[in-house]
Amino acid sequence: MFYPKRYDVVVIGGGHAGCEASLIAARMGMKTLLITINLDSIGAMSCNPAIGGLAKGHLVKEVDMLGGEMARNIDETGLQFKILNKSKGPAVWSSRAQADMPAYRLRMKHIMEHQDNLDMKQATVDEILEENGKVVGVKTNIGNEYLCSAVVVTTGTFMKGKVFIGLNEYSAGRAWEPPSIKLSDSLRSLGLRIGRLKTGTTPRLDARTINFNALEPQFGDENPAPFSFKTENFNRPNIPCYLAYTNEKTHNIILSNLDQSPLYSGMVSSLGPRYCPSIEDKVVRFYDKPRHQIFLEPQDEGSTEIYADGLHTSLGYEVQLAFLRSIKGLEDVEIMRPGYAIDYDFVDPTQLKHSLETKKIHGLFLAGQINGTSGYEEAAAQGIIAGINAALYIQDRDPLILRRDEAYTGVLIDDLVTKGTKEPYRMFTSRAEYRLLLREDNTQLRLAKKAYDLSLIDKTDFERIEETEQKIEESVYKLKNTFVFPTAAFNQKLKELGTEIIKTKTDLAKLLRRVEIQYDTLKKLIPDLGELNSFIKQEVEIQIKYEGYFKLQYQQIEKFRKYESLIIPKNFDYNKVGGLSNEVRGKLMDIRPESIGQAMRMPGVTPAAVSLLLIYMKRDERKIKSSA
Amino acid sequence: MHDDIIAAIATGYVESAIAVIRVSGYGCYDILKKIFSRKKINFEDKRIYYGHILDENGSIVDEVLVSIFRSPHSYTGEDSFEISCHGGLMVSNAVLQIVLNNGARMARPGEFTKRAFLNGKMDLSQAEAVAKVISAKSSRALHIAQLQLKGNFSNEIGEIRKDILLLLAENEVNIDYVDEELSDFSKEKRLSMVNNIYERLSSILRASQSGKSLFDGMKISIVGKPNVGKSSLLNKIIGIDRSIVTDIPGTTRDVVSEQITIKGIPFTLLDTAGIRKSSDDVIENLGIERTVDAIKKSDIILALFDLSSQLNEEDYDIINRLQKNSNRVIAILNKYDKKSGLFNKGIIPFKRQIQISCKTGYGLEELANELEEIAIGNIADSDIVSMNASQITILKQGMKLCKDLLNDIKGDIDPALISVEITGLIDILDEIIGKITTEDMLDVMFRNFCVGK
Ligand SMILES: Cc1cc2nc3c(=O)[nH]c(=O)nc-3n(C[C@H](O)[C@H](O)[C@H](O)COP(=O)(O)OP(=O)(O)OC[C@H]3O[C@@H](n4cnc5c(N)ncnc54)[C@H](O)[C@@H]3O)c2cc1C
Ligand SMILES: Nc1nc2c(ncn2[C@@H]2O[C@H](COP(=O)(O)OP(=O)(O)O)[C@@H](O)[C@H]2O)c(=O)[nH]1
Repeated sequence: MFYPKRYDVVVIGGGHAGCEASLIAARMGMKTLLITINLDSIGAMSCNPAIGGLAKGHLVKEVDMLGGEMARNIDETGLQFKILNKSKGPAVWSSRAQADMPAYRLRMKHIMEHQDNLDMKQATVDEILEENGKVVGVKTNIGNEYLCSAVVVTTGTFMKGKVFIGLNEYSAGRAWEPPSIKLSDSLRSLGLRIGRLKTGTTPRLDARTINFNALEPQFGDENPAPFSFKTENFNRPNIPCYLAYTNEKTHNIILSNLDQSPLYSGMVSSLGPRYCPSIEDKVVRFYDKPRHQIFLEPQDEGSTEIYADGLHTSLGYEVQLAFLRSIKGLEDVEIMRPGYAIDYDFVDPTQLKHSLETKKIHGLFLAGQINGTSGYEEAAAQGIIAGINAALYIQDRDPLILRRDEAYTGVLIDDLVTKGTKEPYRMFTSRAEYRLLLREDNTQLRLAKKAYDLSLIDKTDFERIEETEQKIEESVYKLKNTFVFPTAAFNQKLKELGTEIIKTKTDLAKLLRRVEIQYDTLKKLIPDLGELNSFIKQEVEIQIKYEGYFKLQYQQIEKFRKYESLIIPKNFDYNKVGGLSNEVRGKLMDIRPESIGQAMRMPGVTPAAVSLLLIYMKRDERKIKSSA
Repeated sequence: MHDDIIAAIATGYVESAIAVIRVSGYGCYDILKKIFSRKKINFEDKRIYYGHILDENGSIVDEVLVSIFRSPHSYTGEDSFEISCHGGLMVSNAVLQIVLNNGARMARPGEFTKRAFLNGKMDLSQAEAVAKVISAKSSRALHIAQLQLKGNFSNEIGEIRKDILLLLAENEVNIDYVDEELSDFSKEKRLSMVNNIYERLSSILRASQSGKSLFDGMKISIVGKPNVGKSSLLNKIIGIDRSIVTDIPGTTRDVVSEQITIKGIPFTLLDTAGIRKSSDDVIENLGIERTVDAIKKSDIILALFDLSSQLNEEDYDIINRLQKNSNRVIAILNKYDKKSGLFNKGIIPFKRQIQISCKTGYGLEELANELEEIAIGNIADSDIVSMNASQITILKQGMKLCKDLLNDIKGDIDPALISVEITGLIDILDEIIGKITTEDMLDVMFRNFCVGK
């Protein structure tokens, strides 16, 4: 049946991508419908009870700046918060929080339920409806057809999902939920290439059967900062995780039962994430490592179910129990839910534009694990971009595209659409070539303008951020233009502060560049230097201390932008370009890079090939000019 | 988009009386100001200035003429200049090196022409031709450069690459994973890895600078009885590349050799004086002696025979002497135009035989191809190092970065900054060690470190 209400945007799937996509579309005034298999699992965490982490914290903060919910949600439901990498430079500081999984899920559902313009319906979508290369609606498993102008597909691991526990195998979207069987065939019939990937998760343990006294607790930071720039009155508990270790006995049990593993027995051949290997993999590949770390993480505030981070496994139930019980502190442990592996259909993301719209079907957007990524944060970042761009598509406006020099989200999407992926893609800071400039701390400064231009943040917020930015600039300028002189009195003060004396007239910025000197140290030297709030102080310190490196990155970025701005015409004919190898030509025709910059990042595209492209582009341009 | 400055020796990598170094790109006159002896000049368009090129210590490297071509009057359409220096590979390379050290980069094959086209200095019909040149030149230049480096230093380069990747992966794994007992790399281990890279780079550099001229190629001798066409062939060969050539004093007696390039590959022609003399000199009987000498000294022996007459005793004598070294011999059957049918080429026991005519030019292309093929094969497994100026610059920059890296590792600098230096090193060495991508790094990271909680 045709459902009578017509929507602007339909989002399929209420996972982390789907939540952000539907919320932002609704917030941008689109009549939005979220259809998901089970309304009770909206915002559910399939795997670890944590948000953020290295490089992922960056993504969460970017989502927040673009009007998303993830940061707010964890700020209200986190169990402990921590800045990782604090001993390293500010570019790689990352926020991470343990989440109260049920609370996280319920709050998210609550927010969605109260969002204007957003309807939610429980159903499985079986088919995307298309006419003349444009998406027109979706059809559910009970035959309902919902008409709309744009569709965002965020089905995670659910398409033809297959779960493996030991030698048992069954169809499921994730361990305890039904899969989505038909949707990937519908996508395939629309002309999209579908591949298969694999991932896995760890056993959940019964807290009452763990001897925590034998284990080392790990707390979060004492006075943590929230994720969201909107969070006020931040006050969350600090509930510990516990550290445990595998040992030789554990390893022996695993090694002697490899025939029980679907991965080693050959049942599963799709590729899993190398950055997050199963315990079987770790033991086999790093056989000389005497022990592996495990983090026992609470799944909720009551801490009955414990997530055993570090023990992804798909070994049989008995083997899981046996190796767990060989671990100190877990001698009497009971498993509540076993670990498992899952493999599932994904869509080769090189078929997408940077807007996350498919190149083939207008108005069809894909986001999240369906694009070959893994992780809640990666999903949320794509979700919000897809949601925004679905709305912009309907409003007939240019899409929001974040570049690699603007945001981790930009790096993530550019990598996906340019290079594709062979294993579930996870964000790393090392993927971001301009990492020094893409920090968590300056997310606001990086993205506020774009967010405000699309009305994703309020005017007051924007003005406050602008003011902060100005204040930082002023303070940096002041430090560079305030001079001190090598008087005996001043040098005496320097000595007392434990730093080298100066021999010539010196500006304060130069002093601040010394490792042992902070803004507050300068204040001791020059009392009337001016009070700065802690955020501005931190930014000023970072900008001055790292100035040389930042300059270098700005130079690189300038070069990068130049190539990005050389747009390859949409209908550029690669067949005409003499001298390209067939392989390169094939790749270019398949990906159809939007700019010369993107072409240069494609694997296998040489500088000579790029020269050829430039020459033929120029030739076409001149031909048009001379015929005009 | 072309605001980087490119430079190359426009006259090619051969000995010549005058070598021209072409430099193009906006801002190029800033470089010239730094390296030219006359500081107060405004470098006006279409003017030629006489002066000296100075190195970083202010010492004179060469006496030169500098021609100024301001945009749009230059070949490329950009601001550019050309330095005409005194030929000689050592000198022109030294001048190029100074230009590169002061902010230019080595031009890629066909790049001047490409810029000329993009800047509207050529008409549309030339686009295709330009494209062809670029794809042909770059593939062959790349091919040769890679063969040279890989052949001579495959081990070194492999190890450098491995070390850099591991160093980067180790640095990154500690940034992208925390709370893990991941890497047991001590500071000493990291320092010694950087030191190793440094040593390897400097050993390549040493080898490349030791002894032989950088652009020595394989040595070729031409032998044959009097009047068989040796001196005609010599002139033809030199004519193949139109690239003659100043004389380099030989090592023994009055033997003189000459540098030539064939298809862009350098060769050394031995004892050219001996050949030239033979036509009007009495010492004709040196034929055998020259053959013996050639066997001792050369990599390729071009043995000439005259197709217009029967082989005689002299020919057989030469054949006999060459037979043990037949793998180095190319039998050149000359005077194909006057071929009388008397001479059955099956008589000559050398695998490589080429019929030519110095008079009509027949077969010379085939000879050039054959020489090229031998040279490429040879480059791959010889221990002669031949590197161009840009490769040397790269090595030196790489070594300097290693030094910086050592200091910063010692000083416990932030790993995110260390990473900037390591990737900087990779960028610089890209041409030598091959492109290293994030994926390569992640491969090494996941292979070597047990990541993932
Ligand atoms: C076993 C397992 C292990 C994992 N391990 C890790 C890990 O180690 N590290 C890590 O970072 N991430 C891991 N993840 C990934 C992480 O859970 C996902 O990346 C993230 O949740 C993806 O978000 P998403 O929004 O794309 O999809 P999901 O969160 O999977 O949500 C998909 C939603 O779509 C709905 N849906 C699917 N098909 C349809 C349909 N046809 N019609 C209607 N609704 C539909 C589903 O009901 C679900 O609500 C793991 C996931 C699983 C299942
Ligand atoms: N017809 C013909 N004459 C040739 C050819 N090559 C050389 N000659 C002639 O043979 C004579 C001897 O050549 P020259 O090069 O001086 O021989 P050399 O003594 O071996 O150096 C000259 O008169 C040349 O013009 C050829 O290919 N065809």
